[in-house]
Amino acid sequence: MSVLQIHAHPSRTTVWILSWFLFATGIVSYFSVSRDRHRENPDDRVMPTLRQMGQGFVDAALKPADDEAAANASQQSLVARVRNGMLWKDTMATGRRFLISMALLFPAVLLGLHMGMFPYVGSFFQRFVLFFDKIVALSLLPILFIAFGIDELAKVMLIVVGVAPTIILDAFNLTRSVPKEQIVKGFTLGAADFSITYRIVLKQIWPRVLNSIRLNLKSVMLFLFAGEMIASTDGLAYRIALLRRHMGMDTIIPYVLWVALLLFLVDFGMRTLNRKLHPWFQEA
Amino acid sequence: MTPVATAQTLLDEKTEPVSIAPALICIQDVLVEYGQPGKPPKRILNGVSLDIQPGEFISIVGQTGCGKSTLLRLVLAEEMPTRGQVLVEGSPRRQPDRRCGYVPQKYSLFPDRTVLENITFGLEVTEVGVFGGFSPARRKLRREFQSEAIGYLRRMGLRESDASKYPHQLSGGMQQRVAIAQALIMRPKILLMDEAFSALDPGTRSGMQRLIKDLWRETGTTILFVTHNPREAVILATRVIALGRTGGDDEGANIVLDLSVPDTNDELKIASFIQRVEQTTFPGSGAESDEVTGAPEA
Repeated sequence: MSVLQIHAHPSRTTVWILSWFLFATGIVSYFSVSRDRHRENPDDRVMPTLRQMGQGFVDAALKPADDEAAANASQQSLVARVRNGMLWKDTMATGRRFLISMALLFPAVLLGLHMGMFPYVGSFFQRFVLFFDKIVALSLLPILFIAFGIDELAKVMLIVVGVAPTIILDAFNLTRSVPKEQIVKGFTLGAADFSITYRIVLKQIWPRVLNSIRLNLKSVMLFLFAGEMIASTDGLAYRIALLRRHMGMDTIIPYVLWVALLLFLVDFGMRTLNRKLHPWFQEA
Repeated sequence: MTPVATAQTLLDEKTEPVSIAPALICIQDVLVEYGQPGKPPKRILNGVSLDIQPGEFISIVGQTGCGKSTLLRLVLAEEMPTRGQVLVEGSPRRQPDRRCGYVPQKYSLFPDRTVLENITFGLEVTEVGVFGGFSPARRKLRREFQSEAIGYLRRMGLRESDASKYPHQLSGGMQQRVAIAQALIMRPKILLMDEAFSALDPGTRSGMQRLIKDLWRETGTTILFVTHNPREAVILATRVIALGRTGGDDEGANIVLDLSVPDTNDELKIASFIQRVEQTTFPGSGAESDEVTGAPEA
């Protein structure tokens, strides 16, 4: 068989077909099973048909999220209805928490940078951050809820506690991996300590830091969803958890795909931005 | 340690009425050991003393691992000696500064800056400050820097169209040319080159040798040039310092040869110097024939 060969050269068409094969299989088998189930029981809620899911998604997008909006829903334009809809409000709520957490990761990068550059700062923080990195953030959830209450702060703190140590250590290691020559060169060109830290080292590691944040997006979302599912009154994960009680698979599945799409777009956006902003950056 | 050494210097000045120019770099009985806890320290340099006068072109040769680069890092003040001291213009230093330009073998340019930005970096960071410059005066200053940098770029034999390229788009030789321009634009008293041409192919290398020798004549900068190639050492420098181990492996290296090289075109004479350096640096083995480089046209 020539399939399992390191030096195999599949044609472009083959590559294309192969790469979509599992998608096609998954979709086809889902809908064939779904069709069978619906033939036996037209009220089946476990595997909704495409039309049910479409209806669920449209309902989620257009159905007003609260009673106040529901009162004057009839005379509103489509845009206004979408903006008052469940999906939009949930996405905004989750997006807000996501952005706040991302903004809080920026100081983590700076801390890692300073730990890597200045030996005193490094020896002050390194052991503690390493220890913190090993704590399972989700196990801290009850403590966070007790300490910060069950509102926004606790959820954002969960994300920060869960992801910040990784980011700090990543930034630290990236800082340390900048060749010594670059720092010495900076000194010989008359730069002072902070010029070297920000204008040489930070600038150089920045694309890699963005990359590492991008790779940690999944952890961010994981902690965000955990927080929302347990204690929240809005947000995408809150909705999914709520719909589970009603077996609302016709909305849950579109929601899951919607979250995946959003995450993909953020990831793609960050990657593109990184490439555009740093044309000099050579992926190792 | 320091008072003793200072006293020694004073004593030297008193006992020698013949006034010689003060040494630009003064390396006094330097010993360098690298220690890891729990292991006996590894001695790299042992009792090295060296005075370097302004305007000298010194090459430091020696086998791999004999402390050539360590000696350079001492002058750079990137490293501190375990014993003894290194004085530049009469004073010890705690970290590298503007007096020394530095051209290493690798990572010599900032990868995130264009060629022009690389060359102007030193001027900008010393004149404009951390928060950049957006005022008209600053912009004017920046334009002056750029035109100065373009001048250096031309002098190094690069085209103006290269100015907006990033280092990874340049060949190794071009990168080193930019690195030299980047260092020289700061007008350093001393230019330290650590195997700066060792990664280049022979043709490019001899071109670079010619360039650095010409630049040395023009600027009068003191140059310390570390190389493991005896031929390169002799054809470039006015003075060749060879490092080698005289004792056992743990004793550390010292200067085994301090040779003044006349500026000559005489191939035979140059060849005899090269042979001498080779014999002291690589005793027992034959000449290093893997690197053949052309002599600079004097």
